[in-house]
Amino acid sequence: MAALLDPPLLRRLEGLALQVRRAVSGQMGGERRATARGRSVEFADFRNYSPGDDFRLIDWNAYARLDRYMLRLFVAEQELPLSIFVDLSGSMDWGRPNKAVTAKRLAGAIAYVALAALDRVRLTVFAAGPTSGGAPYRGRRAVSELFSRLQSFPVGGPTDYARLVWPIGKQRPGMTVLISDGLGETSIDSAIAALGRARQEGAILQLLAPQEIAPDWTGDARLRDSETGVEREFTSTPVTQGAYLQALAHRTQEIESSAHRRGLRYARLSTDQPIEDMVQRTLRKLGLLS
Amino acid sequence: MTFLLPAAAVLALTLPAIVALYFLRIRRPTRIVPALNLWPDQSRDRQASVPWQRLRLSWLLLLQLLAAALLVAAAVQPALSAGTSLARHSVVLLDVSASMQARDVQPSRLDEAKKEIGGIIDQLGPQDRMTLIAVGSVPRILVSVVGDRQALHRAVNEIGASNGQADLSAALTLAAGLVRPGDDARAYLFSDGIVGPIRTESGNGLPFPVEYHRIGVSGENVGLTSLVVRTGAQSRAAYLHVQNFGQQARSFSLEWRADGRLVDVRPLTLAGGQAEDVVLPVPTDATLVSAHIAAGDVFALDDTVTAVARAPRAFHVLLVTPGNVFLEQAIRLRADIQLDVVAPAAYKSSAPYAMSIFDRYSPHALPDGPFIVIDPPAGSPLAGGPAIGIGRTRATDAGDPLLTNVDLRDVHIARSQDLRTNLFGRPLITSLQTPLVLVRDEPFRQALFGFDLHESDLPLRIAFPILIQKLSEWMLPPSVPSHSFHPDEPVTIVPETGAASVTVIRPDSSRRTLATNSISTFGDTDLIGLYTVEQLVSGKVDRSWFTVNLFSEQISQLKPAERLTLPPINNTATVHALHRGQLEIWPWIALVALGIVVLEWLAFHRGL
Repeated sequence: MAALLDPPLLRRLEGLALQVRRAVSGQMGGERRATARGRSVEFADFRNYSPGDDFRLIDWNAYARLDRYMLRLFVAEQELPLSIFVDLSGSMDWGRPNKAVTAKRLAGAIAYVALAALDRVRLTVFAAGPTSGGAPYRGRRAVSELFSRLQSFPVGGPTDYARLVWPIGKQRPGMTVLISDGLGETSIDSAIAALGRARQEGAILQLLAPQEIAPDWTGDARLRDSETGVEREFTSTPVTQGAYLQALAHRTQEIESSAHRRGLRYARLSTDQPIEDMVQRTLRKLGLLS
Repeated sequence: MTFLLPAAAVLALTLPAIVALYFLRIRRPTRIVPALNLWPDQSRDRQASVPWQRLRLSWLLLLQLLAAALLVAAAVQPALSAGTSLARHSVVLLDVSASMQARDVQPSRLDEAKKEIGGIIDQLGPQDRMTLIAVGSVPRILVSVVGDRQALHRAVNEIGASNGQADLSAALTLAAGLVRPGDDARAYLFSDGIVGPIRTESGNGLPFPVEYHRIGVSGENVGLTSLVVRTGAQSRAAYLHVQNFGQQARSFSLEWRADGRLVDVRPLTLAGGQAEDVVLPVPTDATLVSAHIAAGDVFALDDTVTAVARAPRAFHVLLVTPGNVFLEQAIRLRADIQLDVVAPAAYKSSAPYAMSIFDRYSPHALPDGPFIVIDPPAGSPLAGGPAIGIGRTRATDAGDPLLTNVDLRDVHIARSQDLRTNLFGRPLITSLQTPLVLVRDEPFRQALFGFDLHESDLPLRIAFPILIQKLSEWMLPPSVPSHSFHPDEPVTIVPETGAASVTVIRPDSSRRTLATNSISTFGDTDLIGLYTVEQLVSGKVDRSWFTVNLFSEQISQLKPAERLTLPPINNTATVHALHRGQLEIWPWIALVALGIVVLEWLAFHRGL
């Protein structure tokens, strides 16, 4: 099995970090400002001592001036919980380069950036339903395991975005990245709405192949849906191709509007774009990475 | 409207075939797409693709059916009835003579005639046949009894004009030979009517009617119809005849050149129908002279004429006679003869002469060459029998070219040697009693007179110098005649003795090589202008010239004939059942069908 991402690319990704707009709420120490008070060098506030508190935090200078026991509170630094949802439905198994392969590589790159910054990464792939990628990954040692897991997932089946609502809803507030082509019988809007309700800060990355952005064929054909297997006879002419492109643009516009309404970032990517270019250029421009 | 190929209507089966194909499911390659719902629904086509569903309106189908119907209509070759009446066998006579080069109709009379013939060819039906004959000085069959219109068009397009006259009689005779008895034939003559004399009394009449299509409208032309160089005692001069054949006065300039150098330019003004003789100087050293008028008329062939100005080379002729002033004077009339007169006693056989004349004398050994022996003494090799009295004299053959213009009616001869048993040659002039003059071609051209000229009144008649002139020209033809010939007129060229090669260079610089060991008749004189004859004699090139000029008032007058008097028609020989010509319209229908196919293609790409 070929490596998901080559080492030179991984070395260049080490200089990046996930960029969050608000403090995070993690379980373990990390490099992110946490909503809880904890131990660090950054002062946060005072409060009155109550029995049971760690007396090592009593500010003796304040006691000398106020004759009261006051505790010094510091900003705690915790890891960022990052959830990555990767669409591996039948519609993703299409295009040159293949959308599913590209989605796995993109997810791997984002996960590597997070793991390199000691953030916690949870991986979920989905098609007809969600499939967990196992226990959350943390630290660089988990990189190879995460990559192996990503590559092991099969591709195929219909897309049911509605079944993402529950796993998204149980997420702790953090960052979520959803990689999908946004195509399918059901609308992706339910999943985007769930992300908004779960106070997730993240991004919708719509991944399309160049052949569906600009169809390269004309003439008579029997079209078969990659997920449902439904067939339809079709004659491709400049006029009918124009109608297709209009429908695709409308679908893309719907996804982008829905994401922006929920305060989520949105980017449309093409599989012929190199992974490094997606990460270094598109995702940094999007504010997802810094 | 008629259909030339009704069997092609079977192609109409393509119409239900198109409908069937539209009904039947089209075999399409399968393409997997990520999301089918993004592709527009073409339910109308899909429904039509289901076998034998009810036919629904489709612009594409309608256009395809319309295009197919038009192609079927074109295939049956519909034809409209045209204006020309045609026989089953049309004999087209196209005048290609010089006058057809006139440009009073654009681009020329010949092109106009070819255009009209093209119109008749287009109207030929599938059963019709056509014969094309080019009417020139010698008529030519271009195609004979052909129905292939492309071949006919090709033949017409390849016809070029000649500079000669049109011999319509010969063309009609030729055409009559191509029509079989009982044929439904009709001839169409495309001409300006300026043709040679028509023999109307020939045979049993024509086996077809002739329809005369007059070509040309105007006779406005100024032409040069004669140019002759005369050598006088003191100088040489050229006499040029210029004539305005039109009705309007014309002013123009005359350019006179000698050996290509401009000698004189004269302005001339001629009233309608006026002619003028112009005397022009000829330099003493000039070889060739030419005249050109810039009249700006519709006919150019008679605007330039050329003549040879150099005097012909002289022949040395010996006259052996005890004294005959009539004979001596008659021989000296020919300018290119240098005559030596000797008495019989002074005759020496060794001296070389081009021709020898022995009057009442015969040497022991006759010379190897042309000679005339007159009244040979008794006992000499050519002497005839005892003299007998002669009555009327006459030509043995009235059409003999040696006796052209020789009038023998008033010639009387007292007596003559009896030449009836003489084997010298064929009789030229004879009487009831005995042949009087014998001529032979082999081994040399020679003549024998059986009578003493002094015992007849022949030397007193105008026929005598003409006869002597004819005989001397026959025996001593100039190597290259220096006078002007008409186009297509044959020219006799006698190679110089010892000539290694004889070449004729035509006005267009093309060369023709002639035989060196015999008299040649050069016939490639279709071009107007100067012809140069080069003979290689003893390593040196000897050049002589002759010219070909139009010099035809009949052609230069250009006015198209309103009607022609043609030979009568032999009504018993043929069947004259005319039918209307047919104008095929299928190319236009096919063109419309092509346009609809293009329209259907555009409609398809616009998703209709």
